[in-house]
Amino acid sequence: MPETSCYILDNGAYTAKVGFSTMEPKVVPNCIMKAKSERRRPFIGSQIDECRDASGLFYILPFQKGFLVNWDTQKTVWDYMFSKECCPVNFNEIPLIITEPLFNFASIQEAMTEIFFEEYECQSLLRINATDLAEYNYRKTHKNVCTIVVDSGYSYTYIVPYIKGKKFRDGIRRVDVGGKVLTNHLKEVLSYRQLNVMDETYVINQVKEDSCFVSMDFMNDMEIARKKGSENTIVKDYVLPDYTTIRRGYLRDVVRPDEDLEQQTLRMNNERFAIPELLFHPSDVGIQQMGITETIMHSLNACPEEHMESLLENIVLYGGNALFPGFRDRVYNDVRAAALDHYDVNVTVAENPITYAWEGGKMIFRDPDFYSFCMTKEEYEEEGKALAFERFDI
Amino acid sequence: MKQFLLHLDETESGRVKDADRRKVLDDAARKRRARKAVEALEQDNFHEDPHADLVMSKKVPKFADSNEKPTRKKKSKSAEYYKLRFRKTFAQLVEEDVNFRPDPPNYLSAQAPPSKFPDRHFCAVCGFPSNYTCIPCGARYCCVRCLGTHLDTRCLKWTA
Ligand SMILES: [Zn+2]
Ligand SMILES: [Zn+2]
Repeated sequence: MPETSCYILDNGAYTAKVGFSTMEPKVVPNCIMKAKSERRRPFIGSQIDECRDASGLFYILPFQKGFLVNWDTQKTVWDYMFSKECCPVNFNEIPLIITEPLFNFASIQEAMTEIFFEEYECQSLLRINATDLAEYNYRKTHKNVCTIVVDSGYSYTYIVPYIKGKKFRDGIRRVDVGGKVLTNHLKEVLSYRQLNVMDETYVINQVKEDSCFVSMDFMNDMEIARKKGSENTIVKDYVLPDYTTIRRGYLRDVVRPDEDLEQQTLRMNNERFAIPELLFHPSDVGIQQMGITETIMHSLNACPEEHMESLLENIVLYGGNALFPGFRDRVYNDVRAAALDHYDVNVTVAENPITYAWEGGKMIFRDPDFYSFCMTKEEYEEEGKALAFERFDI
Repeated sequence: MKQFLLHLDETESGRVKDADRRKVLDDAARKRRARKAVEALEQDNFHEDPHADLVMSKKVPKFADSNEKPTRKKKSKSAEYYKLRFRKTFAQLVEEDVNFRPDPPNYLSAQAPPSKFPDRHFCAVCGFPSNYTCIPCGARYCCVRCLGTHLDTRCLKWTA
């Protein structure tokens, strides 16, 4: 008996996107944080919004290198998400769509099946890769045949080709650079060059989000950043939050020394574009891998040639790093330059790169075959976890 | 682990001794240093848990709260139970995957290979493109001023 709504949880390593298919999703930090300023309590998920002073936050994350390994932390955050405090649900009545990483390990898959059927008493469960939902979203809006999905998230960037709606596993590639590497590298260079911010992951992540962009011409931007005075159109100051008058920092033009506003600032110059550049040149920081665009071409070359045209015409980008200004244009320029001239190249960035996969979940729930993708509690009780491996293409 | 300097101008007193300066890091030490730098990019925190001594989990809201709903009769298992039940390290998981997905495509095979383009080099101090290599440690620098800062701060001071 089909339900009128379902519960969708895009369970990212940094944020979870959660909510009913009839509503807008909530973006919840998928972690527990502890603040120096508050000894009395940990902050679970969105509770961090109640923390008055977010300096020196300590993170406890369920995910490591993109995989769920700290189950006590995850269980605590899930309990919070499913409670009245966040987005209450009764899985007895409502189907659940939950995302997992590509190539998720067997024992994590088993644990997922067990915990959702036994602990959370799901009636109908669909475990699926977030990129599958993103591809579904794209295909339903573009009516295309093949797609290259680029998911640039917290732990890494995945490039996943889909042929006629099915992932082409031989073409899947992973670049081990995501938002976490970028934030950590920014922390490292700022700590060395200006001010020790090694303990300030939360704040420096915001500095990254508010200051960085993807360069269209890296060496030329380096030349601009070397210039003094008004010729340097890149250099800015980032005003740090003080948690009394400023809760979130912001970027502003460099002011003359005599009009110093007595705010604590970080000077952002070549850091503004050299940090996101790691997505395109991981070797800049010693990670010996191809960058995103080179990897897209590498992935394409593993795909059947007859689908090359359709794949190049349908490249879609989502995930937190797709929010950097210039990200789409850079991928487009680089792929255009690398692909043979007679192919068209189309690169789309999701309108909301954070919730794109979640929105795909909303659409797949309306698929007439939705319930055939799911596994029911009865099936689990009769056939056990083995059936989950057959049913879910993780 | 405190190899990070707060402010560059605080470092004058820390000039490397002449004897140290003649030392040269061997290849193995350089590789170790490079590997450590990459590993550091994976870390979640660089400081200790500020309240590690406190037991905070008691304050955590339990899913059991929703037991108030008549539809949910079952008693919830604790977070600790699942920690013990599913405990596996990342290394164990990768090792197990050899049995689960012995042939590519799998987690390891999906990793992007090294780039076909040559490495680019940036000054270890200021981040601008660099043309020179520090002889003792192999770090890159762009000018005499940056070399001076590098020698004063990180050159051979890292415990590799
Ligand atoms: Zn320099
Ligand atoms: Zn050196």
